[in-house]
Amino acid sequence: MKQFIILIGNYGSGKTEIAMNFALNAAKTGKTLLIDLDMINTYFRLSDRRDLFEDTGVEMIAPNFANSGVEMLTVPAEIAKAFDMDWDTVIFDLGGDTGAAALGQYHNKLELARSKGDEVRLYNVVNTNRPMAGTPEKLLRLMENMQRKARWDVTGFIHNTNMSYETTPADLEAGYSIVKEASERSGVPVLYTAGKREVLDAFLAGAHDPKFVGEPLYLETYMHRDWDTLTKKGV
Amino acid sequence: MAKKLMKGSEAIAEAAIRNGCRFFFGYPITPQTEIPEYFSERMFEEDVKGCFLQAESEVSAINMVYGAATTGVRAMTSSSSPGISLKQEGISSLCAAELPCVIVNVMRGGPGIGSIQAGQGDYYQAVKGGGHGDYHLIVFAPSSVQEAIDCMGKAFDLADKYRTPAMICADGIIAQMMEPVELPDMKEYKVDPAKKPWAATGYDCKNPVGQRADITSLYVETEELDVLHERLQGTYKVIEANEVQFEAYNMEKAEIVVTAFGTVARIAKSVIDELEAQGIHVGMIRPITLWPFPYDAVHQAATQNGVKAVLDVEMNAGQMLDDVKIAVNGEQKIEFLGHCGSHLPTVEEIKAKILAMKEGM
Repeated sequence: MKQFIILIGNYGSGKTEIAMNFALNAAKTGKTLLIDLDMINTYFRLSDRRDLFEDTGVEMIAPNFANSGVEMLTVPAEIAKAFDMDWDTVIFDLGGDTGAAALGQYHNKLELARSKGDEVRLYNVVNTNRPMAGTPEKLLRLMENMQRKARWDVTGFIHNTNMSYETTPADLEAGYSIVKEASERSGVPVLYTAGKREVLDAFLAGAHDPKFVGEPLYLETYMHRDWDTLTKKGV
Repeated sequence: MAKKLMKGSEAIAEAAIRNGCRFFFGYPITPQTEIPEYFSERMFEEDVKGCFLQAESEVSAINMVYGAATTGVRAMTSSSSPGISLKQEGISSLCAAELPCVIVNVMRGGPGIGSIQAGQGDYYQAVKGGGHGDYHLIVFAPSSVQEAIDCMGKAFDLADKYRTPAMICADGIIAQMMEPVELPDMKEYKVDPAKKPWAATGYDCKNPVGQRADITSLYVETEELDVLHERLQGTYKVIEANEVQFEAYNMEKAEIVVTAFGTVARIAKSVIDELEAQGIHVGMIRPITLWPFPYDAVHQAATQNGVKAVLDVEMNAGQMLDDVKIAVNGEQKIEFLGHCGSHLPTVEEIKAKILAMKEGM
C-alpha cells in the first residue's frame, strides 16, 4: 500500500519545510518519492535544497527549469512514476494558494490509486501569522478555494503557526484558537501541530483540547535563510 | 502591534494600503506578481474598499496612475525591470505634470527580458533618468521587508509633499523573502483641496471657487517650459538638501568602507560582522535613498581618518559606482566587485576581495 501525502496551504505556511521533514522521516523506513510541484514561483522552493537529499534514500522530482531564469508552467512527465512505480510514501509539495491547481490534473490517477487501497492524505498547512490567513473566515475561504483547485478534499489541518526565526510558543497559542474555530466550523480535523522541538514542547505543556492539537510534529529547519547558503545555492 | 510574517511583495502592498493608497493599476510580471495578486483581494475588503485594476499592459497601468493622481488620491503601480522600461514615457509625463504617485520596481536580471531572478541593473534607469527630459524620482532601495514597509510610507508622503513621483527599487529577493514585520496603523487619506489646490477635485461652474485644474505635460511656449523647469529644479534642490537617507554601519574603526544597497548590502553586512570578529575593521555606507544620493556621507566615510580604501559591491556592472566616484572625488582608492545576470555576490567572495585589498595596503 502506498501513502500519498499532499501539502497545500497559503504562501509561507511552511509546506516545503514540512514536506522535507515528512520525506526524511519516511525515508528511514521505506521507499520515498518527494515531488516539488510548485508551479507558482522559482524563489525559495524545495529544489533549492536538492543536495540535502543525497544519500538519504529520498528520490526527488523537480519541475522542468526549476531554479533557472525562466518560468515554465509545465509539470515533468516523470511524475507518472509516483503512480506507476512502487513506493511506500509519495509526497507532493504544492505552490502557495492557487498553486493547489497543479494537483487537479492527477485527480483520476489519485482516485484509481485510492480504489486500489492506497491512502491519499491532503493536508492543509496553516500559519495564522500570515496576513491572508489570520482569521477562521480567511482560513476557510482559502481552504475552499484550494480544495476546489486541487480537486480533492482536505483530510486535515497541520497547524504550523510560526514567525520564522522569531517563533515563540505564544505564536502557536494564538494560532490554536483560530485553527480550532476553523476546524469546528468546517468539520476538518486538526491532525498535527508542528514546530521546532523547544517551541512545540512549551506549547504542548499548556492546556488545550487534544482534539484540536492532533499529533505533535517536531520540525527540523532545512530552508535556511542565511546569506551564505542563499548566495551559494540560489533562492 | 503584533508582528506578521510577510513576503516583501505583500508587505509593500499592505503598507501602501495603510498609507492611504486606494488605487492600484498594474500588470503581472515575475518576481512581483504577488503585489497585484495581494491588492486584487485586499482592495475589495470592507476596511479598504479601493480600486484594483489589472490593466492591459504596463503602459496603460502607468497612464491610469496619471489619471488617478490628477485627482489628488494616493495611487501606485508596480512592475519588474522590463515592465518598468515600458512605463518610462508615463513616468516622464508624471514628473512633468508634477503628479505625486508611487512606482515599485522589483528588479530582476536584465537587459531585455533578462531573467526572473533578482537584479540591481536598473540603478541608472531609476536615478539617471530612464524616461526623457530633466527630471528625478525620489528613489528608495530597501534592504529588508521591514524597510520596504517603512519606505512605502515615506514614498507616499514625500511624493505628496514635493508633487513628484517616488520609486521603490527593491530586488527580487526583497520581494520574495518572508520576514517578521510590524505594519503601520491604517491611515485614512482624504484629498484636501486646500492642500492640493492643483488637483482635479471638481469644479462647479455656477459657483466657481478657485482655479480650474490644469494638469499637463505639454508646454507650447518655451518660456512656459522654462518656468516649469525652474520650479522642478528648485524642488529637486530642496529634496537633495532634506531627504537623503542612508545607513552607516560599523564605521567607527573602519579601514575599508563598503558601499552597497538593497540585498547586496545585507550580504556585505554578514561579511563585515564576520571580519569584525576576526579583528578586521570594515564599515559600510548603505544608501537608502538612491536619489537623492548620500554624496556627503560617502565622501566623509571615504576620507575618514584611518580609512584606506572603498569597495563598491553591486549586482550589476558598477552603476552606483559612478555616484560613489563622484562622492569620493578622487580622494580615495575605489575598488569594485559585482556580477550581472542575477548572480548574487557571495559572502565568501566579498570577504576574499576585502582580504586581498587589505593585503595590498
